Amino acid sequence: MSDAAPLAIDTRALTRRYAGVDVVRDVTVRVPAGRKVALTGSNGAGKTTLLSLLSTLVQPTSGEAWIAGRSLGERSAALRRSLGVLRHSPMLYEALSPLENLEFFARLYHVPDAATRIEELLRLLGLWRRRHEPASILSRGTHQRLSIARALVHRPAVLLLDEPETGLDPEGIALLDELMLRAPGVTVLAATHRVDRIEAWADGVIRLDRGRVAEDTVSASVPHAGARA
Amino acid sequence: MRTANRVYGLRWVLLPPLTGMGILAMLVGAVVAAPTELVEGDVQRLMYIHVPSAQAMYLAFGIVFVASIMVLWKRDMRWDAVARGAASVGVLFTAFALVTGSLWGKPIWGVYWQWDARLTSTLVLFLVYAAYLLARAVSDPGDEQAARYSAVYAIVGFLDVPFIVMSVRWWRTLHPQPIVSRLDPQLPGSMLAVLGISTLAIFLLALWLILLRTDTERLGQRLLGLRAAVDRREEA
Amino acid sequence: MNATFAVVAKDLRLAWRDRAGWLTAGAFATISILIYSFAFDLATNDVRPLLPGVLWTTFLFAGVFAAGAGFQREAEEGTFDAMLLSPVSPTVIFLGKLISSLIALIAIEFALLIAATILFDEPLLTPELVAIVMLGTAGYASLTTLLGTLGSGPRTRAVLLPVMALPLLVPMLIAAVRATGGSLGIFGGDAPWTLLLAVFALWSTLTAIILFPLAVER
Repeated sequence: MSDAAPLAIDTRALTRRYAGVDVVRDVTVRVPAGRKVALTGSNGAGKTTLLSLLSTLVQPTSGEAWIAGRSLGERSAALRRSLGVLRHSPMLYEALSPLENLEFFARLYHVPDAATRIEELLRLLGLWRRRHEPASILSRGTHQRLSIARALVHRPAVLLLDEPETGLDPEGIALLDELMLRAPGVTVLAATHRVDRIEAWADGVIRLDRGRVAEDTVSASVPHAGARA
Repeated sequence: MRTANRVYGLRWVLLPPLTGMGILAMLVGAVVAAPTELVEGDVQRLMYIHVPSAQAMYLAFGIVFVASIMVLWKRDMRWDAVARGAASVGVLFTAFALVTGSLWGKPIWGVYWQWDARLTSTLVLFLVYAAYLLARAVSDPGDEQAARYSAVYAIVGFLDVPFIVMSVRWWRTLHPQPIVSRLDPQLPGSMLAVLGISTLAIFLLALWLILLRTDTERLGQRLLGLRAAVDRREEA
Repeated sequence: MNATFAVVAKDLRLAWRDRAGWLTAGAFATISILIYSFAFDLATNDVRPLLPGVLWTTFLFAGVFAAGAGFQREAEEGTFDAMLLSPVSPTVIFLGKLISSLIALIAIEFALLIAATILFDEPLLTPELVAIVMLGTAGYASLTTLLGTLGSGPRTRAVLLPVMALPLLVPMLIAAVRATGGSLGIFGGDAPWTLLLAVFALWSTLTAIILFPLAVER
């Protein structure tokens, strides 16, 4: 760890096999803290699996990875607290209101000033007025806004996002850019199909092809942290 | 380790003839050599398949238990193949034990099915492992998640066995038992010898079948992997 | 501890919001008691020998029914993943789920005991019987909660859960029925059924707590 810039995401030959196929294969990437990286590739290239691996939801078949210097293998609470995750499913309780959803997740993450943090997010995302309505009656775009609030409630340092633009209107996308994709100091790795928008927020691209890294404009610029091999 | 691998490599050369000879010896022993039991008559000869089957059942379920722990621990689908192979053979021998037990019971008890403690707990075990096979069969052979779930079920099921056996025994002792003990503790030496040979033969048969089933499951998994790999290449 | 309580509070709130699911389980149990009454003509004969069996089969079916339903939403909405992503350990998540379903199940069972007390004119709310009901419920709820999280799809879960859970629960069922019978002064026999029930509850809870984190790993 002699580098000047600490690495937010650091993987070594990360591999995940499903039914005999390496869905993610020998992925070695190094993303310095604060970078905004677009994860691209066609369907089935392994983007979602890579994000699941990094978010500790799925265990690697082989290889290792560190998030902000903490090994994935430890699966520590501190590591999980540093991660904010958006996945395909909204990960919200449909029978609970936006406020109740955020209160629950704030408690799981031990957010110290939960009430003020939740109010701040709900107001920022334009959900404050509807905070008591059940999530089930909210529209697709409003769901996605609430998912963004859920992912941010504990102020994560690293964001792992899977198609974050899904369902958002232009206004929602502006909020996504402001709060997540271009948030200062936060590291972002976001799988996306919106190639047209990458220019607007990303400062690096990692492209996967059939599980392997096909293009990587981020790691190449980072010196090897040889000490930990 | 290397010798172990070499012996394992010879399983298709060694096991079939050994099993064949064992079964032959068992048949000769059970049908010809063993003396006819004085009270029960020829039907008692079923013991030579009934008792070893029940023991082979426990052997198979023990293998399922160990393999299931390995599935959770090592995350290696080969152990899932072993667990499934052993479970299906275990269920087969459980069925053997139940059927031979009923046939043996018919002339003794007058009915095929008596809620006898051992027979009843065997039936519950049959249901547990049939449920395991069913649960594993509804998802595809390469599904790692399903393998883990089934492994958890198999571990709970095996740890449950003492409870099943004990509760059923206590449950039945509240009722008059038609026959206090079907297995005379002092079997004559000749019967004991035949029983020993039968046990060995049935264990060899169980082992052979388990290895066959395991290899079949393993081939199924590999076929699935190959298919997925071909799909992937065609897409490119 | 705080996190366990958060999960319990959330699950109870969801149970209350999704009343339909739990009410269905309760209605199912009530109907079962009525069906048994008609089938065995419990109204005219001496019901006492049949009562323990009627009560426990009803409890068990309602419990298995509820376990599958309770988890289905969580899996479909992705919120189970959300909990696994949080710093809270899977063991805590499991304890929260177990405690909340115990509370809901015991509430249903008490309602049924009161109903049966009235219907069959048999005092069922004795301290001994309440203890037996709670021990038995702890015994089966830990296993149905564990098995409820298994199974890949909602369809498999609904169909397979009873087939998988009930054979495992045979010892608990026998012990609970005998202990209940003993407490109602029906069966003789001196097997320590309540002790078996307690040991089973302890074993199943510990086993489920140990295996749950391994089961949810991917």
